[in-house]
Amino acid sequence: MVTQQDSPYNWGMVVDVDRCTGCQACVIACQAENNVPLNTENLYKEQRTYSWIRVERYWEGEFPDVKARFIPIMCQHCGNAPCEPVCPVFATYHNNEGLNVQVYNRCVGTRYCAIGCPYNVRFFNYWEPVWPEALRNQLNPDVTIRSRGIMEKCSFCIQRIRRAERVARRDDRLVADGEIQTACTQACPTNALTFGNLKDPDSKVSRMSKDRRAYKLLDEKIGTDPNVIYLARVEEKAEAVHG
Amino acid sequence: MADKVSRRNFLSMVGASTTGAVLFVACSGIPDEEFIVQAPVDLPEDLVKGRDNWFATTCGVCDGGEGVIVRVMEGRAKKIAGNPDFPVNMGKQSARCDSALQMLYHPDRIAQPLARVSRGSDLNPISWDEADSLLKRWVGSGSVTVATNPLRGHLGKVASDFAGKFGGRHIQFDALEQGVLHGAMKTVFGTDRLPEFDIANTQTLVSFGADFLGTWISPTNFSVKYGEFRQGENRANRGKLYQIESRMSITAAAADKWIPIRPGMEGEMAMAIANVIVGDGLVSDGNIARYTANLPDGTLAVFDLATVSGRTGVSEDTIRDLALDLAANGPGLVIGGGSAGAHTNGSFNLAAIYSLNILIGSVGTEGGLFLNPDSPWDGVPSSAAGASFDEWERELSEWRAGNVNTVILRRADIVRGLPRSVNVQQALDNVPNIVAFTDVLDDTSALADLVLPEASFLESWGTEIPEPAPGYQTVGVQQPVVSPARTRDGSRVLSDARAFGDVLLGVAGGDLGATSMKDLVEEAVSALFDLDRSASSITAPTSGLFMRGALQRGGWWDRDGKAASRPQDAPPLANTHSTPEFAEAAGGEGEVFYLQPFSSIALLDGRFASAPWAQSTPDPITSAAWTTWAEINSSTAKRLKISRGDKLIIKSTTGEIEVLAYPHVAVPPDVIGIPIGQGHENSGRWAEGRGANVLSILVDKKDAVTGALAWAATKVRVIRTGLNHEIARAEGSVDAFEVEPQFPIAVVRPGESAKDAIHAAEERHDTYADPDDK
Repeated sequence: MVTQQDSPYNWGMVVDVDRCTGCQACVIACQAENNVPLNTENLYKEQRTYSWIRVERYWEGEFPDVKARFIPIMCQHCGNAPCEPVCPVFATYHNNEGLNVQVYNRCVGTRYCAIGCPYNVRFFNYWEPVWPEALRNQLNPDVTIRSRGIMEKCSFCIQRIRRAERVARRDDRLVADGEIQTACTQACPTNALTFGNLKDPDSKVSRMSKDRRAYKLLDEKIGTDPNVIYLARVEEKAEAVHG
Repeated sequence: MADKVSRRNFLSMVGASTTGAVLFVACSGIPDEEFIVQAPVDLPEDLVKGRDNWFATTCGVCDGGEGVIVRVMEGRAKKIAGNPDFPVNMGKQSARCDSALQMLYHPDRIAQPLARVSRGSDLNPISWDEADSLLKRWVGSGSVTVATNPLRGHLGKVASDFAGKFGGRHIQFDALEQGVLHGAMKTVFGTDRLPEFDIANTQTLVSFGADFLGTWISPTNFSVKYGEFRQGENRANRGKLYQIESRMSITAAAADKWIPIRPGMEGEMAMAIANVIVGDGLVSDGNIARYTANLPDGTLAVFDLATVSGRTGVSEDTIRDLALDLAANGPGLVIGGGSAGAHTNGSFNLAAIYSLNILIGSVGTEGGLFLNPDSPWDGVPSSAAGASFDEWERELSEWRAGNVNTVILRRADIVRGLPRSVNVQQALDNVPNIVAFTDVLDDTSALADLVLPEASFLESWGTEIPEPAPGYQTVGVQQPVVSPARTRDGSRVLSDARAFGDVLLGVAGGDLGATSMKDLVEEAVSALFDLDRSASSITAPTSGLFMRGALQRGGWWDRDGKAASRPQDAPPLANTHSTPEFAEAAGGEGEVFYLQPFSSIALLDGRFASAPWAQSTPDPITSAAWTTWAEINSSTAKRLKISRGDKLIIKSTTGEIEVLAYPHVAVPPDVIGIPIGQGHENSGRWAEGRGANVLSILVDKKDAVTGALAWAATKVRVIRTGLNHEIARAEGSVDAFEVEPQFPIAVVRPGESAKDAIHAAEERHDTYADPDDK
């Protein structure tokens, strides 16, 4: 019987919506770290941009009593990921550290996973990514450039996770809380994003996940069991009416 | 709750064939660990040769003076992140930081010096030796103007000293000049250095026009504190933010209450708040005495609630509630800037706004504001603001009169940034020698006779004195962190660029006290070592080790090096002009609107326009990118039959631009908001010919006190063209639908759990949704 090796890690993220200002720092930091192809004007118009993390804006009310609310959305790294069982070639699978992993070399581009994902966080490479030669100087050598015809998505900056785990193994210890920062959590100027090990009861994300404001997107409805936990926005006169 | 079907359960239900296959293979003796789906040996990070290093330096593009760390492999910069040590941004960054990499490796960077044989002829490559000798000859004839972006630290000193040596002046340019803000600081607090805003510990924060979370002054610094203001672990209560602004910026969006106000009336609202607080005795007698000490009798009475409400468009209740909250729920903090200071009464507005801090006792107290100390270096500028529009008009008249022989430009795109009415191009035509330092040709450097490729801040030595400082003496040290940028195959240098400061020092021939910026930096750091401060961020036995520490940490700071922040009397506010005047709109067809230009979150005033990451960053409010749009109230748009993407002509008395309409609900009905940053004729392949330059249609109204350009004081007509184009925008790329109440942004009242809030919402939703079921 195949069993996954037990791991001391279950990587997860907490997003405090009450801190988020929608500033887009996470979006660009992610693109820089992960060699996300340039989102040209045409890609926007064709609605085929790549954004492993995006900030959604929701309106509520009418002028002058109007609010704009922001929420960062990235791969939720679901424990019960709808994208995983539909992949005919096992290009996307769940690893023993709680990550929803995309194996680029296996992907044959059926896009079933993107259809299955209720969070719309998987992106298909319709074209070969192109950078002017000079700009290729700044590409991150730790991250594969995805070729045409395959899916890509947030990996929780797996290259940073692997690096920290290697160092920890070398030092014969576990990765310490706060030792790994994904590019988005590192950039976020309001500290709205926190990354860590949900298996460690003392980690910051574990503590935050028990906050009264904690909720998971769609989990109660479709049971995706995400590893991304949101903390609700606080408003004095909160009305549950959304536009 | 829906039944959960896990993938593993699903697999087990699918049938035994899969399991059987696995068992079969397993029986062949291959250990379980071989079934790890992705072999670690194939991970790309394991294939990477070489070792990365992170170097600390100081960002040289934004205005705040943030500390950054840069990941470098084989001499190439790979990633920029905030320097976790640096007290200004504390490891954090904005959406703009990484774009500096694309400016470093921009394919349109100028490769070598360029010169024209005669005005109007093409630019041709020349050697640095030829460029040096040309520059020496030109500046040797005297009457030199050095025009730069606002410069602090040693580069600012070098530029000023250089201009002084060659019989000229150093003038600074900032399209959205902050002179009014600095002037207000001087008026209210007696120093033009910007103070430290203790947002993290504030309970009631009131901001007039300052988009401090997006683009104003030092947004990363403010955002770090804002996070604590909302949900800091050590806070008793979540802070409350009021944003008074004529358009919805991301700060207004983040606010607990956004108060749209008639443009230019922010000062009057501040006075009305003071009127309530003083009239009702909501603060101590001492505070009231300090606030009213220089106020002529009857001043506040003019700003009664009914009058101000009528003039500002803000209800009496709103003003009163805000005043009560500010006085009762301290510590409070009041800040102002941006559009609030960009009117003919800008100085009055900001003085009235900042004086409220004296009234509520927030000067020098936790959660309030702290005055910042001077630079640790004598004679080195620690504060910088662009020259006023008045000063620029005077300077350009000197150019027109033929009184200036040589203009040296550095990151001062005045052709694009100053209003058309002053006709910069015509003034430049009368300057015999124009020299421009730049990375990519912009609209002003494209007119230069001599174009010199300037090194990026990632390739240069320098110092920075952040503004605002964190309440104590802080300096950033800038060092070259990459090898000169080369083409990817390494065959040639991408740009044979030199640092602006190094070239000036070289031309001055040692007369400015050093021959290179590196020497100046080493001297400056050595001077810090000699201060021998007990709370210094670096302790080292020798000057050399101290220098190494400064480079490793990206700067130096002394937490004891503070300025005295004592309670003081407010200025005589009634002596300044209080009512805004607007440049009336051009005649003809179309409805008249207040024009509200605003800094783009990614491009700022256009300085990042050459970088594709900056171009492609979605605007948080509209999600638009790569273009210029006009934000217009959706009801107004409906009345005028304007739809999203309609091409509009925006017409002032000095010109017109074409932009695409973006109607939404968060714009006052009489305001049209247009981002600054696009409309470059030059600036590289990703910026040229894209969008429109809203600065070009501003009318030359000025702040009555400082002579600064009142860039929010123009009225325009909006005319439909009948054409429609798609706006490049992020929204709509995925379907938006309400899957469940409170999805995806749950909102709770203080103390309420998300679970309770969501279930309560579901119950309400069911009640509303299924009335026929009962």
